[in-house]
Amino acid sequence: MRRHVSLYGLTFSLPLLIWQLLFFVFPLAFLVALSFWTVKNFAMRPDFDTINWVTMFSRKVFWQAYGTTFALAAAAATLTSVLAFPCSYAIAFKLSDTARRWLVFLMVIPFFTSYLVRVYSWQIFLSDAGIINVMLGQIGLGPYSMLNSIGATMIGYLTLSFPLVVLLQLFSLVFIDRTLIEAAHNMRCGRLRTVFAVVIPSGRVGLVIAALFCFILSFGDFVSPIYLGGGDPTTLSILITDTTKSGQQWPRAAVIALTMIATLMVVAFAAVKFAYKGRTK
Amino acid sequence: MQRDTLVSFEGVVKRFGTYLAVQKMDFEIRKGEFLAIMGSSGCGKTTTLRMLAGLEAPSEGVIRLSGKPINHLPTWSRDTPMVWQSLALFPFLNVRENVEFALKMRGIGKSERRKRAEHWLDRMQITEFADRNIAQLSGGQRQRVALARSLVVEPEILLLDEPLSALDAALKVRMQSVLKNLQRETGITFVYVTHSQSEAFSMADRVVIMSRGKIEQIGTPQEIYRTPRTRFVADFLGSSNIFSGKVTASGAGSVDLETASGPLRLTTNAAPPPGSAATLTVLDTKMRLSLTRPANSTNVVPVRVIGEEFVGATATLYLETAQGQEIRVQKGHDELAELPLEIGQDLFTYWAAEDGHLVAEA
Repeated sequence: MRRHVSLYGLTFSLPLLIWQLLFFVFPLAFLVALSFWTVKNFAMRPDFDTINWVTMFSRKVFWQAYGTTFALAAAAATLTSVLAFPCSYAIAFKLSDTARRWLVFLMVIPFFTSYLVRVYSWQIFLSDAGIINVMLGQIGLGPYSMLNSIGATMIGYLTLSFPLVVLLQLFSLVFIDRTLIEAAHNMRCGRLRTVFAVVIPSGRVGLVIAALFCFILSFGDFVSPIYLGGGDPTTLSILITDTTKSGQQWPRAAVIALTMIATLMVVAFAAVKFAYKGRTK
Repeated sequence: MQRDTLVSFEGVVKRFGTYLAVQKMDFEIRKGEFLAIMGSSGCGKTTTLRMLAGLEAPSEGVIRLSGKPINHLPTWSRDTPMVWQSLALFPFLNVRENVEFALKMRGIGKSERRKRAEHWLDRMQITEFADRNIAQLSGGQRQRVALARSLVVEPEILLLDEPLSALDAALKVRMQSVLKNLQRETGITFVYVTHSQSEAFSMADRVVIMSRGKIEQIGTPQEIYRTPRTRFVADFLGSSNIFSGKVTASGAGSVDLETASGPLRLTTNAAPPPGSAATLTVLDTKMRLSLTRPANSTNVVPVRVIGEEFVGATATLYLETAQGQEIRVQKGHDELAELPLEIGQDLFTYWAAEDGHLVAEA
């Protein structure tokens, strides 16, 4: 059956289509082309050479950064999901409608300030002469070195994605049919067990999507690993900036960027597939 | 047949804030009976069922199961499985896993679980759908899964909250007989909440009729149908004609009333004092018709035909008294064929004194 494109439909979809072409498809195509360019005497030349791919993929530092970034993002997705779940569960099931609306509003407030500003304020808390160490000093403890660590990077990732993960989880939990929970209770399934046996399976799609968002945000984040993690261990985003700075190696940076995009696509696809597993057979 | 008491409600009250959902309620559920709780929406029937299931806590009073108070027991510590109006099947589990759920929660081993689930899948004739998703089943099949899921633990009592309301008429009738047979064969006590008179009367051994949080009448379907206890019940069932009036004479097994439709007499053992208000009901099947005033009947009301409705085996004739009261008469087609039935035809309707019943005013 042929589908007719109506002028009406086009009026609304065309701006989005143009936007996507201008700011996603063209840059992506350019990025792919760029990855095959060559650099001679600090100057880029259009070319078709696989040397950048070969160089990057044979470097140990690249694979180390890749492993670090993947592991950090996976850890952030897990940690954030686990910490966010009790919060979204309580908001969805234990609060009145009014209280729920207020908390959703509070969850939106962090988005009012720049993420960069929030990360800088974490530095004030976490640095050796920062607020936490000063307070610990009052009772004769510390100072503890907290900044420039994986823990601090995690705090940054949590700052970035926690409110979003709570909101996404919440929207899947509030739509769970309450009678399913009552039915489970009615069949001798206690409160905690019902969370695992009914609430999590029922809200699976939303929970997986929330974790996926956290993974995507953390995987590509540059701010937390550099300002809270101190750039060590190196993540792919840091490696990109280092590569561009050292001898105009934009083509090699393009290779890293494309590898990241490919990874996120595979992860997103796998996550969505897992989320909807068994829904339609 | 007198059976032992399984559940008793003793002075049970349920408030939601200031709203009184269930007023002081005393009744018993007997072991092995099929009890229907019937009433219109908001009458407290579902709240009553949910209190029994442990999903709501009574504000006052005691609910006993096998003699033991169960007020303080959460729903997961009671053996009162329920079938929801929405069925509440788990969409993330297949049919077999749904049926096995309650057994799994009791810590029953895998092979035993499978065996017992298999038995109920077979009994409910859904074995062939065992590995399907809930979303792939029809309404009737889901119904059977929900029943199997609740019955697999072989409980003493099963609570059903309007489980058939989502089905079409034909399937509803079929499921009614499935339910009735299941109840008879297993001997499990069924407590069935419904707003449908036909469901309640066709399946239940006893029916509880509720209105505005109060029990109006408890009895067998026949008792309730023939002798509604209150004016509400007679009105709710809609199968009786109701006449209100004042007692003029009372005693010696009969009562005379003066009503807007004239003097009426009924046979009863009750003896309301002369001068008091009283309401008389007569089943629409007990009303007789005549073109001429019947000579030796004490209860005659002149009426005019205002409409006729074909019901099936019978027809409903709508009549109106001189005072504008509508009277419904249920008659066989043969009998009606002998009468001229144009709209506006004047007739007399009459009935025997034994067919009248006094009902409580409130």
